[in-house]
Amino acid sequence: MALFVAGLSHKNAPVALREQLAVDDDKLRELVRDIQGAGVLPEVVVLSTCNRVEVYGVADAPGEARALAFRYLCRHRGIDLAGVEPLLYTHVEAEAVRHAFRVAASLDSMMVGEPQILGQVKDAFALAQACETVGPRLHTLFSQAFSVAKRVRSETEIARHAVSVSFAAVELAKKIFAGLARRAVLLVGAGKMSELAAKHLVEQGAFPVYVANRTWSRAQDLARALSGTAVPWDELETALGTVDIVVTSTGAPTPVVTREAVRRVMHGRRGRPLFFIDIAVPRDVEPGVDALTDVYRYDIDDLKQVVDSNLRERAREAQRAEALIEREVGKFLARLGDVEVIPTIVSLRARLEEIRVGEVKRTLARLPEATPETRAAIEALSTAMVNKILHAPITKLRESSRQGAGRSWLELVHELFALGRRS
Amino acid sequence: MHPGLINPAVVGYICAMGLALAYLVQRHELVHRLAVLSTLAGWAAHTVALIVRAVELGAPPFGSLPDAVSVAVWVIVLLEVLIEQRSGLRVLGAFVLPIAVVLILKATTARPATLAPALAGAWVWVHIALALIGIAAFVFNFVGAIMYLLQERQLKLKRPGAFYYRLPALETLDRLTFRTLALGFPFLTVGLLLGALWARTSWGTALTFDPLAFFSLVAWVIYAGTLAGRAAAGWHGRRAAYFAIVGFAALVVTLGAGLFMPGRHGF
Repeated sequence: MALFVAGLSHKNAPVALREQLAVDDDKLRELVRDIQGAGVLPEVVVLSTCNRVEVYGVADAPGEARALAFRYLCRHRGIDLAGVEPLLYTHVEAEAVRHAFRVAASLDSMMVGEPQILGQVKDAFALAQACETVGPRLHTLFSQAFSVAKRVRSETEIARHAVSVSFAAVELAKKIFAGLARRAVLLVGAGKMSELAAKHLVEQGAFPVYVANRTWSRAQDLARALSGTAVPWDELETALGTVDIVVTSTGAPTPVVTREAVRRVMHGRRGRPLFFIDIAVPRDVEPGVDALTDVYRYDIDDLKQVVDSNLRERAREAQRAEALIEREVGKFLARLGDVEVIPTIVSLRARLEEIRVGEVKRTLARLPEATPETRAAIEALSTAMVNKILHAPITKLRESSRQGAGRSWLELVHELFALGRRS
Repeated sequence: MHPGLINPAVVGYICAMGLALAYLVQRHELVHRLAVLSTLAGWAAHTVALIVRAVELGAPPFGSLPDAVSVAVWVIVLLEVLIEQRSGLRVLGAFVLPIAVVLILKATTARPATLAPALAGAWVWVHIALALIGIAAFVFNFVGAIMYLLQERQLKLKRPGAFYYRLPALETLDRLTFRTLALGFPFLTVGLLLGALWARTSWGTALTFDPLAFFSLVAWVIYAGTLAGRAAAGWHGRRAAYFAIVGFAALVVTLGAGLFMPGRHGF
């Protein structure tokens, strides 16, 4: 019985095909039961998200099992298997373990580090469990995958830094202000993106929210939507004096916040920093405000630059995560391997011990005058020989099973020493 | 100080410094934990060395300037662990431990210290102890200022680098520099006053030239100015950080003068 995973993902299959193959939960229940019912896969979990469709299973012949599983899948979705078959990848044993760990830890995701995938894998596993298609091997694999994913999340920062412009702005604000609770926000102009940024800020505790817009009714509408207060357009400068974070996104052809205005405003602020998030193009805040102390201004290009840098930081962390997963795969296989080879080692020892004891008995029966010393020497000699002979094969068995290639060696040992059929 | 006792402490601090710097480059949970362990081990060894020294002298273990610097390092390391614990500022060690290591190396390689005969009376011990706590606080004032300037620069340049990700918010750092100034200043002030009073009773005048006394007065004036600026004129951020650095430079000169120039503090 071999552990395997077969499927396709955003890496090799176009979205048009992925969406055709995606299965909803009700269908999925039916599907896993059907696949298991066919008798080739005693254990099966099907993971179906918008970025991947994968079958995790245990089977004697993974190739045959894969064909069967996807035949059922394609029949369910009413598409031609011939179009899917060439895109399928298959990972067996060690490769399958690595793949499962990487998927759960979000290293195989389109956006590395995105948090949803772990939940999706957990759901797929829970669904299969409810359908009773999960046996001990997949159970061990998935529980280990979940704990590895958790470790990756807590010990690396692949999911830490914002990859969207609006979240990057929130993170920047947190590097200026010690916490965003009770920081006043001013929205200038009413774009979708600035509304989103404002929402993120409010979620982090920013309060109160002011909205200024050239059209008074628009200001009022948006203020209502954000539980904020509308500010008349000509009181913009006064408002600048009281708030901490300003999000601008007007369609104005020239800057609406000038360096002069900010300079005047900063006098009355007694050193409280002022952070401009300028999402408008053309820009709403004069770049010259950069030169003023305690003023921080990020326009859309600056924010994109921060996002790029965050992505690089995530990529660096992803490398660390890969190393961590590599170690975990090794440990997992060693444990699995040990579990697998121990019965064989035990029966191998028992077999040789049986031969030894029998031969010693026969020899001693022919030597009635042997002294206790001689008897002890014969016992010791035979024991030493058996141990010496067993040492190399046992080491080899352990090693090869840890490398995930123990199966063929186990068969061989059983044949050679006539240990009987393996279960 | 016994080399056999102080050396394990020095080794512990150096290891801790290396690990703390490594943590700054490659944030790894384990590296941080090892750095903390190493710091604590060094500090424990340091504590033992100081106790032995005190027993041996039959007096507080800061009767000579090298000894006093060693005690200052002991306070600095203690504060480092406490502040890091309380504020979660995990990169603090990378900034503070190098200073602690430089100071302890200076203290252990300075000329052999003997207890100054002029040292007598409880007030002089209080004078030294207060000045030491003040100096320890100003180390953090300096470190906070450096971190502030690094983070401020990153935010102004708009190109997030290693420090952007590792350092906390500007406000937090500014608060750290302010609080350590507010903490260190009274200690330094009372310490200096006691020194002056004691000088007058011992030598009849508080105003003879002594390099250490002179430079610590310079540092005091700088810190007093910063504190006044913060309180009255709302100084903060970059300006306050520059003053913190200048003040600390004056303190370093003070210690250098005490260690290497002849004077009353030469013991």
